[in-house]
Amino acid sequence: MSERGAFSVTRIPGFGLIAITTFVLLYLPIVILVIFSFNEGLSQSVWEGFSLRWYEAAFANRQVRDVSIRSLWLAGVAAGLATVLATLAVLGTTRVGRFRGQTMIYALINQPLMVPEIVTGIALLIFVASIKVQTGYTGMGYLVAAHTAFCIPFAYLPIRARLETLDPALEMAAADLYASPVQAFRHITLPLMVPGILAGFMLGFVISLDTVVITEFVKSAGQDTLPTYMLGQLRRTITPEMNAIATLFLLLSLVIVTAFFLITRTRGR
Amino acid sequence: MAVVNGARVAAEIEIAALGKVFGQGEAAFHALKNINLKIATGEFFTLLGPSGCGKTTLLRVIAGFEQPSTGALAINGRQVAGQGPNKRPVNTVFQSYALFPHMTVAQNIGFGLKMLGKPRSEIDATVAEMLRLVRMEALAERRPSEISGGQQQRVALARALAPRPRVLLLDEPLSALDLKLRKEMQGELKRLQTETGITFVFVTHDQEEALTMSDRIAVMSAGRILQLGSPDEIYNAPVDRFVADFIGETNFLTLPVAGVSGDQAHLDLPGGTSAPARLPAGLAAAPGSSVTAVIRPEQAEIAPAEGADLTAEVESATFFGTDTHLHLRLSDGQPFILRRQNRPGQPPIAPGTRLGLVLAPGALQVLRD
Ligand SMILES: Nc1ncnc2c1ncn2[C@@H]1O[C@H](COP(=O)(O)OP(=O)(O)OP(=O)(O)O)[C@@H](O)[C@H]1O
Ligand SMILES: [Mg+2]
Repeated sequence: MSERGAFSVTRIPGFGLIAITTFVLLYLPIVILVIFSFNEGLSQSVWEGFSLRWYEAAFANRQVRDVSIRSLWLAGVAAGLATVLATLAVLGTTRVGRFRGQTMIYALINQPLMVPEIVTGIALLIFVASIKVQTGYTGMGYLVAAHTAFCIPFAYLPIRARLETLDPALEMAAADLYASPVQAFRHITLPLMVPGILAGFMLGFVISLDTVVITEFVKSAGQDTLPTYMLGQLRRTITPEMNAIATLFLLLSLVIVTAFFLITRTRGR
Repeated sequence: MAVVNGARVAAEIEIAALGKVFGQGEAAFHALKNINLKIATGEFFTLLGPSGCGKTTLLRVIAGFEQPSTGALAINGRQVAGQGPNKRPVNTVFQSYALFPHMTVAQNIGFGLKMLGKPRSEIDATVAEMLRLVRMEALAERRPSEISGGQQQRVALARALAPRPRVLLLDEPLSALDLKLRKEMQGELKRLQTETGITFVFVTHDQEEALTMSDRIAVMSAGRILQLGSPDEIYNAPVDRFVADFIGETNFLTLPVAGVSGDQAHLDLPGGTSAPARLPAGLAAAPGSSVTAVIRPEQAEIAPAEGADLTAEVESATFFGTDTHLHLRLSDGQPFILRRQNRPGQPPIAPGTRLGLVLAPGALQVLRD
């Protein structure tokens, strides 16, 4: 034990070992997945030389292209809608002073963070099935609605965090300088919320892109997204083409998450 | 019409029987109580008082951020009850400056004019003029986060002045600045006020700032205006114990009334002599009763004991550079502080010395208590 300074967890015996084990467990499987996406042969365990053939196969695969486009489209639409709704929810819950049931509203908005996804999935399955029977409609509307609802809390949290750091005196100053409430919102509040809104959109986008359970239960025939397609393929033989698709998917997620951090850090100031 | 230091001038702001209550029922809090005030056009008017006395609340009521609970408020002769801040010819310099962080200095200054729908050319010209007025031309394209506190202060001022409001409200605009910059900005503010002729309503809890800058001062405490007058009146003729105590240093003496003539009382002094003292308006002091009178420490002088108004014994002395404070005990036991100008070669006064004191004519002021 050091004589000076505060308690440090890094001095616990075995700390280094625990840390390394954790990181290995976190990243090794992914690293292996990525490595074998470049394997010349079919094996997932024997290296047979470098090749991009599985990437070529993935790009040539029409189905992969279709589900990828559907995934991106769905994520874009759902995250967009969720961001608009979340922005309105933030304005309605944080700029109006304390009111009765405020905590309750927060909890209700954040439902998807608390209810197990499989429960939501089953509930949606039953709900959507009955609507399909009633209306006969089987389009993408169900997936859009389900993903939008699911993404709202993820968009809501960063937007609210941003608005809460906004000095209310700025809006007062705008009003004092002859801005109508709408002008004050348009020229002051909204531009200052943009970093939070972008962050909320990106988080929602990634979440929608990721989710398997909800999609699996809500989709109709021919509405596979990339994750549900991959899940379906895994029930058959696994070729390194799946590794290549997974690697590309990983790359996309990384790009979006990195952009999210850059936005919240640099523009958030 | 407002009467300012004896002269009748047009009233820019008229406040009558104004009250502000926060909360309801049991939790009701009276932040402003029966405020009556007329502020003249072109006046430098200061609200002075301790923390929590309602200065900001009164400013917010004038600006339109709060609606009064009772009473009336007129700006430039027009009742403004119910009007929002964007409808009033009044601009505010916020204590936190509240500059728009996503706009440049120039955009901040031009914001009010833009909201008023002024043409681009007029906005540009006014912004340039304001930048010159606050000496910020070189930094027009910077963001608020890229300029110093004193510079932000100037931008806040320029932004509030740019739309040429009839009234400028300033809520402790200098309190965040260090002493040197504060002194500099005090002069700057005074210059801007004279140059623009705009009515300034200035909030501070710094009595020296209030005394040096204002045409008139309203001293507030617990939601009320206790005294309203020129800096000279507030300092030399406080009518209220709180005002006398809050501003500068003063001696409180409890003295019997020998007689009253008009607004003058004659008070019996401990040594057997008597001295005239001003009575506050409307106070009837009965001969024989005791009143509290105040006198500033610099308004008495050391004199030979025979023929003096008062005699006293020196208890201690504190050296202050330009002057020395002598802590005296009067012959009847009341404490008295005397400020004595330091001069080269002047012999020090040792504790235990007995002195005579002569009071400056008109120095004694009776309090309303
Ligand atoms: N919105 C509000 N709700 C309840 N009470 C309030 C509200 N605004 C102000 N008050 C109370 O009114 C009183 C006066 O507040 P105000 O801000 O006017 O004080 P001040 O004189 O400006 O003080 P300071 O010098 O500290 O700025 C305070 O006791 C404050 O707590
Ligand atoms: Mg205040």
